[in-house]
Amino acid sequence: MTDNSNLIIENNNKRQSYARRIAHDAFSNLGARLGLAWILVLVVVAVFAPLLANSHPYLISIEGAISSPLYEYLTAADIILLFLFIMAVLLYFFKWSTNKKFVVFIASGIVVSTISFSFVDTPELAIYQKYRDLDRANKVEWVINAPIPYSPKDYLRDVGDTSLEEPLTAGLRTHWFGTEENGSDVLSRMIHASRIALGIGFVATGIAMIIGVIIGGLMGYFSGTVDMIGMRLVEIFEAIPTLFLLLTFVAFFGRSLYLMMVIIGITTWPGYARYVRAEFFRLRKMDFVQSAIVAGLPLRSILFRHMLPNGFAPVMVAASFGVASAILYEAILSFLGLGLIDNPSWGEMLNQAVQAASFHWWMAFFPGFAIFLTVFAYNLIGESLRDAVDPYLNKK
Amino acid sequence: MSDILIKANDLRTHLQTGSTIVKAVEDVSFEISRGETYCLVGESGSGKSITALSIMQLLPKGIASHPSGEIIFHSQYSADANGSGPVNILDVPDEDMRDIRGSRIAMIFQEPMNSLNPVYTIGEQIIEALQIHWPDMTDEQAKQKAIKALADVQIPNPEQRIDEYPHRLSGGQRQRVMIAMAMACEPELLIADEPTTALDVTVQAEILKLMQELQNKKRMSILFITHDFGVVAQIGHKLGVMRHGEIVEQGAVQEVLSNPQHDYTKQLLAALPENLKQNNRATMLAAFREKQKENKEEADLINIENLKVYFPIKKGVFRHTVDHIKAVDDVSLSIRQGQILALVGESGCGKTTLGRALLRLEDPTAGEFSYAGNILSSLSQKQILPYRRDMQFIFQDPMSSLNPRLNIATTLTEPMAVHGIGKSKDERIALAQDVMQQVQLDPEYIWRYPHEFSGGQRQRIGIARSLVLNPKFIVCDEVTSALDVSVQAEILDILLKLRADRELTLLFITHNISVVEYISDEIAVMYKGKIVERGDTDQVTSSPQHEYTQKLLSAVPRLHH
Repeated sequence: MTDNSNLIIENNNKRQSYARRIAHDAFSNLGARLGLAWILVLVVVAVFAPLLANSHPYLISIEGAISSPLYEYLTAADIILLFLFIMAVLLYFFKWSTNKKFVVFIASGIVVSTISFSFVDTPELAIYQKYRDLDRANKVEWVINAPIPYSPKDYLRDVGDTSLEEPLTAGLRTHWFGTEENGSDVLSRMIHASRIALGIGFVATGIAMIIGVIIGGLMGYFSGTVDMIGMRLVEIFEAIPTLFLLLTFVAFFGRSLYLMMVIIGITTWPGYARYVRAEFFRLRKMDFVQSAIVAGLPLRSILFRHMLPNGFAPVMVAASFGVASAILYEAILSFLGLGLIDNPSWGEMLNQAVQAASFHWWMAFFPGFAIFLTVFAYNLIGESLRDAVDPYLNKK
Repeated sequence: MSDILIKANDLRTHLQTGSTIVKAVEDVSFEISRGETYCLVGESGSGKSITALSIMQLLPKGIASHPSGEIIFHSQYSADANGSGPVNILDVPDEDMRDIRGSRIAMIFQEPMNSLNPVYTIGEQIIEALQIHWPDMTDEQAKQKAIKALADVQIPNPEQRIDEYPHRLSGGQRQRVMIAMAMACEPELLIADEPTTALDVTVQAEILKLMQELQNKKRMSILFITHDFGVVAQIGHKLGVMRHGEIVEQGAVQEVLSNPQHDYTKQLLAALPENLKQNNRATMLAAFREKQKENKEEADLINIENLKVYFPIKKGVFRHTVDHIKAVDDVSLSIRQGQILALVGESGCGKTTLGRALLRLEDPTAGEFSYAGNILSSLSQKQILPYRRDMQFIFQDPMSSLNPRLNIATTLTEPMAVHGIGKSKDERIALAQDVMQQVQLDPEYIWRYPHEFSGGQRQRIGIARSLVLNPKFIVCDEVTSALDVSVQAEILDILLKLRADRELTLLFITHNISVVEYISDEIAVMYKGKIVERGDTDQVTSSPQHEYTQKLLSAVPRLHH
């Protein structure tokens, strides 16, 4: 029989781990691939936003002195984001275990965050027209600009002919997506707004997932009374309409991105809790969990080491839909004029388009299409993940 | 010979999954005459079921292909649209194949729980099958025929039972209904794919007898797929032994069983527990008994007194308890140090619940039990933790008993770390590798994940996991029932050897009598939550006292009558 068992081992060696198989199944679907590609593009754009669209030049030589205003004006958050992105890309190529990579990533993130928050000192006031004035005075020998040389809040007041330009019509300057009524570049605003869209999606979903997994896990494992109390809690939170709670909180506490994230998080966790609860009910009866109990392992290990990794797939599916709906909530709030005041967001840009005296298609089309694409991309990924996780679907 | 019903010539079936091609059936040739039972025996994955599905043409078209070979079916009726005569099933178009399926060749499956549609009554399901094959049959005629079919398979009160839904029937009855459905259209060939594997031995004996009777009455041929040589010896006329998609040996049943030619057949037969007995068990047991005599005192390690485990049946809005399922009903039992006590019984008799209760995986309703003098039945889950080291459990299904996300090293060393065995991680890994050697696993495999192992290897890992804590007492719950015979033999030998080396005490829960006869010192027979008979294994098996034990033992299919 030894030859038989060797054969099986050989065959099985070619099989990948469960997570990798699911990922492979999910992303062999063209729609999911396109969705993932769009999200990746967005991530890159969001991380590199200040380098892509900025009125501060990369390098400028003024009367012989070379300086980099863009670098000076980078905020601590910009630097952390850039660092984490580069770190993630680097770690991807290292052959370390996932756990080690994760620890290194988090640790370096914390170190860099502390350093940059305590040492990076960004000038508070940015006078964007400074460079153009210098240029007009012929003091600039040479300059390297960002690909889109306009900051989102650069209203180009120094140039008289601004405000509401159609895309690609101006003589001297190129505005790919036109300008809005204040004169700032629409594309630049959209690039910087992608940070908010992604941020609110990930953070709000993250909060909801953490709460949902913990409460759902406890309900599923202990069942009985804990389950009953937990389910009532789930029902209470499910009864709260997220949008109206958001409106109320904005009215009372003012507009804050972080508040929005927290509220979306604490009103959407019941969905995740339900998924995790159902999975834990099933896993609780599995032999390997029973054997963990028999071995006298502590509850923490049973819950988070033996059960959670085996029941996480449905949560991932729900999460990808959750990110999409969080982005939509932010867009809705901003559209209603209750979003952030200072920083542009896609919803707020839509709002601007509607409020303008006459309708200008480029102000509505580009941000609207970006919202549509992003939500669509997450839904594509979610559906594909759901199919990959579903054991009843026929897989070839 | 004109009496041949179906003949396969060099049949090959290849299955394509992704880019790899699995040669599931390779050059298989056999013939089945009318009124004959041909048994196809082999271990899991040997291609028995694929052969059957090839005959039925039930394999998915996109995945399965037949590069060569033919299956000639000599039907009495015109199966071919162009007229009668033999047809090659592989060439028959789908339309015509539907006529052959069910009416000329019928099939029954292993799992009676899943093979009936739960939303229709059994009568509706039989009548539907009848009316598809005889479209001009009236409802009344069909009903009468269905009742007769149910009567044929000895369902009591067929007139009333015809309106029952499948969930009201027991497993054995469902399998009878499946047979009734298959037989209703009077097929010439019945393909039975492990039809009794999921059933208890006493039920299995009845079903086998029924199939033989029906075969004699209707002169039908049966292709019987099984892994159990005892069943083959009981009902087969001819036998084919399959391995890796090939038939390595075939011939008349008695001839092959008594005088096997191929090495593989010899290996399989030697691995059967009843044949193992003669070889090494005697010497091993003698050595152990000797050792025990030196120790003299045979203290009871486990003592169970009037243990009851009831599961409440709750009903109504307030979920009040209306009744109890008495899984373990007033059981008193003691297990001596170093003994292997086999707990035998049919499915649902409460033997697993008893084992689980001893490890406090189920909470006892009443009664108490003690381990080495310490009463465990009343301890809380926290208080019981120190005893977890000494008492372990080995699970039935090696596929689900290992966490698929953790490698073997983690699975084995985590419990050690919790119980403070070994000082460092390296020391624990060395200890784990030591245990892996004891269960005859390559210690190099320690960094692998469960999916990289075969069923037998996983079961060894399961045993290793229970051994790393150096337990004194292990509950083995049907540890070999999911395994092939040759693997089963290896696992049983490992357990016997470990018992001798480590002076383990085992509670061996099983339904397989021949395994019990091989491994256990004492036997306890459980029936409907109670222990009905207990005694020395040889004594109980040779002269059973209780009525149920007698019935159980006589139902076991034996190789040698």
